[in-house]
Amino acid sequence: MGDITTEQPIIEIRNLSKHFDDFEALRDITLDVHRSEVLCLIGPSGSGKSTLLRCINFLEAYDGGEVRLEGELIGWKSAGAPPRKPLSGEALRRQRQHIGMVFQQFNLWPHLTALENVAEALIHVKGLPKAEAMTKARAALAKVNLSDKEANFPANLSGGQQQRVAIARAIAMEPSVMLFDEPTSALDPELVGEVLGVMKQMAAEGMTMVVVTHEMGFAAHVADRVAFLEGGRLVTCAPPADIFGREPDDPRVNAFLKTYRERNVV
Amino acid sequence: MNFSFDVIWHNLPYMLAAARWTLLISVGGMAISLVWGVFLCAARISRGPFLSRIAALYISFFRGVPLLVQLLIFYYMLPHVGLDLPAVAAAILAVGMCSAAYTAEILRGALQTIPRGQTEAALALGIPTLSLWRRILVPQAIRIGLPSLTNELILLVKVSSLASVVGIGELTRISQNITGETYRPLEIYVAAAAIYFLINVILSALGRLAENRLLVG
Repeated sequence: MGDITTEQPIIEIRNLSKHFDDFEALRDITLDVHRSEVLCLIGPSGSGKSTLLRCINFLEAYDGGEVRLEGELIGWKSAGAPPRKPLSGEALRRQRQHIGMVFQQFNLWPHLTALENVAEALIHVKGLPKAEAMTKARAALAKVNLSDKEANFPANLSGGQQQRVAIARAIAMEPSVMLFDEPTSALDPELVGEVLGVMKQMAAEGMTMVVVTHEMGFAAHVADRVAFLEGGRLVTCAPPADIFGREPDDPRVNAFLKTYRERNVV
Repeated sequence: MNFSFDVIWHNLPYMLAAARWTLLISVGGMAISLVWGVFLCAARISRGPFLSRIAALYISFFRGVPLLVQLLIFYYMLPHVGLDLPAVAAAILAVGMCSAAYTAEILRGALQTIPRGQTEAALALGIPTLSLWRRILVPQAIRIGLPSLTNELILLVKVSSLASVVGIGELTRISQNITGETYRPLEIYVAAAAIYFLINVILSALGRLAENRLLVG
């Protein structure tokens, strides 16, 4: 990892905090993501990993600290202590174009075909002419091995296929980073593999990825680093070998992984 | 007594002519109902508390007062505010503005059934608010609300008969007049019922057609 630390991280998270009313969802998180890195966020439910992910594209407005993408502060007009002013809608939309996101529930638009789902933002965000958008959308669907399903509506696709369309919809925008929020948690077990396969391929092609996941096998084998969160705090962030080794440094990580070890997942 | 088809046959041309007014009030009312209903719904769910409250007040008024009373108010009020419109315009306005209250609530209910995740997916892609509404939310709301909207439009055709009280020669009014001349109320009202029924059968068939076309997803 020594060679990439000299370069500016693509995502810089500094002292991030987030409250929902009285509940402290995130507390003082500091974390970097480097270009072409795969970072997995793991931890018990309610530990704040999804909230952290959603702060990166400002689907959740964080309260304190900073999130920067390629040096640019996300969501707020200025760094520094709250209260601060949010960016204009247009400025935020411009930032979000560079951050792809894949959701647990796929969130495809059911009244549009697979191809139309992928082409929608190319036409109405990037402003591409329809023919060019369709060409790009087809290329994105080919990447997730769904060229033969472009005319299908989401209701006529399996969960795994829907999630791959959702991935195609995000990568068609050519984002600089991709966020995955438990992308396989809503899938039947036999469909998990096809989605993880596409994600592995993206990682191999150098996509920067932040992945909230319960797939410890994926975290162990594909991630460059694994961050463990608990109670809204970052407990540790280390290469998978250190996290998934027999004796991780932190007892909390050990306790969390125990159930997975008992099921021989890692 | 004997049921005379001759009476119907004899008076049918007058009744069909009157049905044109029924259609005019219905179609005009529908246009106002749908367009104004979309705006009302948008105002009702807007984050601005003022706009939202005004829309809620509007909806509760138009749903809470009998349409017949609304119609009479419109008819007698318009000249006072300097609008010298024909009676039929008052009827179209009253029917449309009342129906819009229901349309707005149908659309609001339909919008609430669209999972929040679909909006989040659009936001995450940087899709502008206007496109989000125009391309993703409204088409689905119309699709989901279509059976209820068809219902509302059928209701609208039937309440157009209330326009008879302000002297418009629509189907119900003309039927009353013919009855007064022929003393054959049963034949004439059965014929009127058949004409209303025919209009609504066509309307509901159109509604089903629209549902089938929209339900492909």
